[in-house]
Amino acid sequence: MVVGDISTGTDVLVIGGGPGGYVAAIRAAQRGLDTTLVEKDDYGGVCLNRGCVPSKALITGADLAHEASHAEEMGIHADPAVDMAQMVDWKDGIVDRLTGGVEKLCKANGVNLVKGTATFKDENSVRVAHGGEGQGSESIEFDSCVVATGSRTIQIPNFDYADDPVIGSKEALDMDSIPERLVVVGAGYIGMELSTVFAKLGTDVTVVEMLDDVLPTYEDDISTVVKRRAKDLGVDFQFGEGASEWRESSDGGITVVTETEDGEESTYPADKVLVAVGRSPVTDTLGLDAIGLEPNERGFLETDDYARTEIDHIFAVGDVAGEPMLAHKAFKEGIVAAEVIAGEPAALDYQAVPAAVFTDPEIATVGMTEAEAEEAGFTPVVGQMPFNASGRAMTTGHTEGFCRLVADEDSGFILGGQIVGPEASELIAEVALAVEMGATLEDVAATIHTHPTLAEVVQEAAENAEGQAIHTLNR
Amino acid sequence: MGVKEFKLPDVGEGVAEGELVSWLVEPGDTVTEDQAVAEVETDKALVEVPSPYNGTVKELLAEEGEIVPVGDVIITFEVEGEGDEAADEERASAEMEAQESEADERETGDEAVGEGDGEAVAGESAEKSADRKAETPKGRVFAAPSARRLARELNVDIQSVDGSGPGGRVTDADVQTAANGRMDSDVEGSDSGPRETAIGEKKSAVSRRDDGESVDGSAASVEAAGRDRTLAAPATRRMAEEESINIDDVPTDETRDGQAFVTPEAVTQYAQAQREAREAEVQADAEAAEASEAEGASATDATEDGVAERIPYRGVRRTIGQQMEKSLYTAPHVTHHDTTVVDELVDVRAEYKELAAERDVKLTYMPFVMKAIVAGLREHPILNSTLDESDPENAEILVKDEYNIGIAVATDAGLMVPVVKNVDKKSILQLSREVNDLASRARERKVTREEMQGGTFTITNFGAIGGEYATPIINYPETAILGLGGIEKRPVVDGDDVVATETLPLSLSIDHRVIDGADAAAFTNTVMEYLRNPKLLLLE
Repeated sequence: MVVGDISTGTDVLVIGGGPGGYVAAIRAAQRGLDTTLVEKDDYGGVCLNRGCVPSKALITGADLAHEASHAEEMGIHADPAVDMAQMVDWKDGIVDRLTGGVEKLCKANGVNLVKGTATFKDENSVRVAHGGEGQGSESIEFDSCVVATGSRTIQIPNFDYADDPVIGSKEALDMDSIPERLVVVGAGYIGMELSTVFAKLGTDVTVVEMLDDVLPTYEDDISTVVKRRAKDLGVDFQFGEGASEWRESSDGGITVVTETEDGEESTYPADKVLVAVGRSPVTDTLGLDAIGLEPNERGFLETDDYARTEIDHIFAVGDVAGEPMLAHKAFKEGIVAAEVIAGEPAALDYQAVPAAVFTDPEIATVGMTEAEAEEAGFTPVVGQMPFNASGRAMTTGHTEGFCRLVADEDSGFILGGQIVGPEASELIAEVALAVEMGATLEDVAATIHTHPTLAEVVQEAAENAEGQAIHTLNR
Repeated sequence: MGVKEFKLPDVGEGVAEGELVSWLVEPGDTVTEDQAVAEVETDKALVEVPSPYNGTVKELLAEEGEIVPVGDVIITFEVEGEGDEAADEERASAEMEAQESEADERETGDEAVGEGDGEAVAGESAEKSADRKAETPKGRVFAAPSARRLARELNVDIQSVDGSGPGGRVTDADVQTAANGRMDSDVEGSDSGPRETAIGEKKSAVSRRDDGESVDGSAASVEAAGRDRTLAAPATRRMAEEESINIDDVPTDETRDGQAFVTPEAVTQYAQAQREAREAEVQADAEAAEASEAEGASATDATEDGVAERIPYRGVRRTIGQQMEKSLYTAPHVTHHDTTVVDELVDVRAEYKELAAERDVKLTYMPFVMKAIVAGLREHPILNSTLDESDPENAEILVKDEYNIGIAVATDAGLMVPVVKNVDKKSILQLSREVNDLASRARERKVTREEMQGGTFTITNFGAIGGEYATPIINYPETAILGLGGIEKRPVVDGDDVVATETLPLSLSIDHRVIDGADAAAFTNTVMEYLRNPKLLLLE
């Protein structure tokens, strides 16, 4: 009649309390399933603690400082002093509120929270090691499991994050003073976001990139807008060079050594070197051998339309389940996994996943590009609206960039959209809705948009694609 | 020639796994459909598992004697012929979840099209699907998320639905129509009967349902029509049979050639109405019974098969069950019963109860019992042990030098056992406070896992609910557990007189591999001595 120092049981075990994991846990608990969430570190995962949220806090702070000091045109003359330590405190306050909120939400929904690192014993149980030596461990048996272990920063040879001048995105968000000189390795979205932040805060930024351009996953006309703006902010780009090592220099700083494919070396002085070369999924702590589950060649756990792995009752969501590594993709997968476990007819059948990069200006995309639509067999039609033709954009002082819609010429269905410009991350939501709903160009063009707003660019782009634009020349 | 997997079907009602007792075939054997290929024993019966295919056995994927979960692939076949394949696949996947089978089919993409009876749907779907693919590249379907969800709910492949919205967008109504159309096709394809009329009638049934008349009209439709002759498609008749409904009783306004004609919807509505009526009746009966008697017959009395409720055996309940099973089947249990007089204990507790209350402590008997147990364990350390069998070859008895006593607490989620650590080092009041705190938090499920670990001996207080003796199950890998009956006045022989005296029944279960009966009796005697003379606890 007793249960004591033994393994405990749960209907659903969720490993990892990031956006995929906590959402899965809460939804499973909402469906009446006994749910246990194991988190080794902080609730909220990378997104809340070391990614989306803290970086956006600093981006906002840096933007404000930069705007205030560059608004002479509007008659504003200011020379703001930035207290980096205070800005980081403010950012930490936001993070604490959000992560605390996640924990409270889990508890309020009846999710059992366990701190530790879970390792599979077999297909129906894990051992959870509590943090640190001698803290003990426990076993948890489960009927279904959701793996949501996320991803970690990729390390490159000779750049160890344990060494003080070498920082990753996490450390970059925790600096209590602004470095005078910063070398950023990698011109992907993390590298570009943080380069812009530090350039705006007055840092002398050099970006070193192996490839020959920034943001290689985006179309040229999009990345060009961002690169041009970064250059205007003073960012120096060195393409075709890979960082090979760093060494201390006599002036108290460091020297970052780079190498081209031909072996040609260059050196760049800096105070810190920020490595932002991407992220890799975390599967090595799970003990996957015990259940015979193997990550694919890229390290991800493969899943089907129901977020299931090869083992029917084991699910994977979020970064560990494959790209794109985006929190909102993880949210969706977490919900689907939980609902499938609860026996509901849920599935991952979304048409597109929007993505946003918080550079200056912002980039946001959803669905297909023109080339992708063509490759998929559609006859694409494209409509575009530049922000410099938008009244509202002019009144914000940000007129760089454009909004583009890609549609199927025959049916008018909107297949995708790309926006680079002010508030692109917000504006993309309308295009995402259009793609998801199967809306046509006519649907968007005929929807009255508020004037004067930035959102009008979406309507205008739709009209432009139909050759019916009023405020721009039709294509 | 294709390879077909066969998953262990649910061979009994709700059976989750079965032991594969023996294979009746070998790789290379030719089998025919329905030929027994294996014997599987569940906790309910030994059953033969029939082959769903005509073909050749390719591989056996489970060992004899192995416990196989339902849904695991146990055997693969090589089969020929597309028509057969489709039919067989349908049967094989009948045991699987609809979603799962749908996903599989999408992935393999080689089934669905078949010949022969009942294949109209598959044929039609495939055709539509092909059309669709020609229209939209990569088979992309434009539909709102709500329409996609509806399609999943109705088990409709949205790829096969013709969209009527702008540009061919698939709407909710299109999905609904496709779902209904499939039922029509089932009717049409099933036999020669009144095929044309069946399809024709479908729409009127749909509109009736949409108008909501079926619900309002349920009272009327419960009334059996009682006709002599009814026209209906064979599939409709089968549906009625499955619902245990006489087709002549199903109300209908439809006629064919002057005869009453019943559609599948009419059957569904009638069945639903009857169910609702039955439930209402049962509810009314139950309420009436409740009103007339203090403890009336419950609604469950009228439930089918005498089963009031099916509760999934899983989660915490199953964990408790598995732990009990492990403990009982691992440790040979012997239970030693005794009763001790506790007049003085009752007096002492009564005397100090108010004093304790002044210090905000609710004084119970539990701390006294815990102290007495510590005294007993000190004298008989073998009862304060665990059996470490992690290395079966070199198993060891670990005699503990800590006195951490677990208290079994009944909670809504099952029994929890929070552990009071270092009982020997704490005062009665401290223990009382701690026990009360742990028990109340356990009931609220707020006790942490750490607080349930590290126990060396366990107490279960069944007397709190009522009863004298029981057989407590040991909290494995501990080796002893003490069950307490209720303290109350019972007749006791005192000299030549029988007097009413406060007594406490004790039930001590021991792991007989580790502890002998004599140890158990000696330990119980020590505990009883302390409980009889609570002043002795001052020495502890």
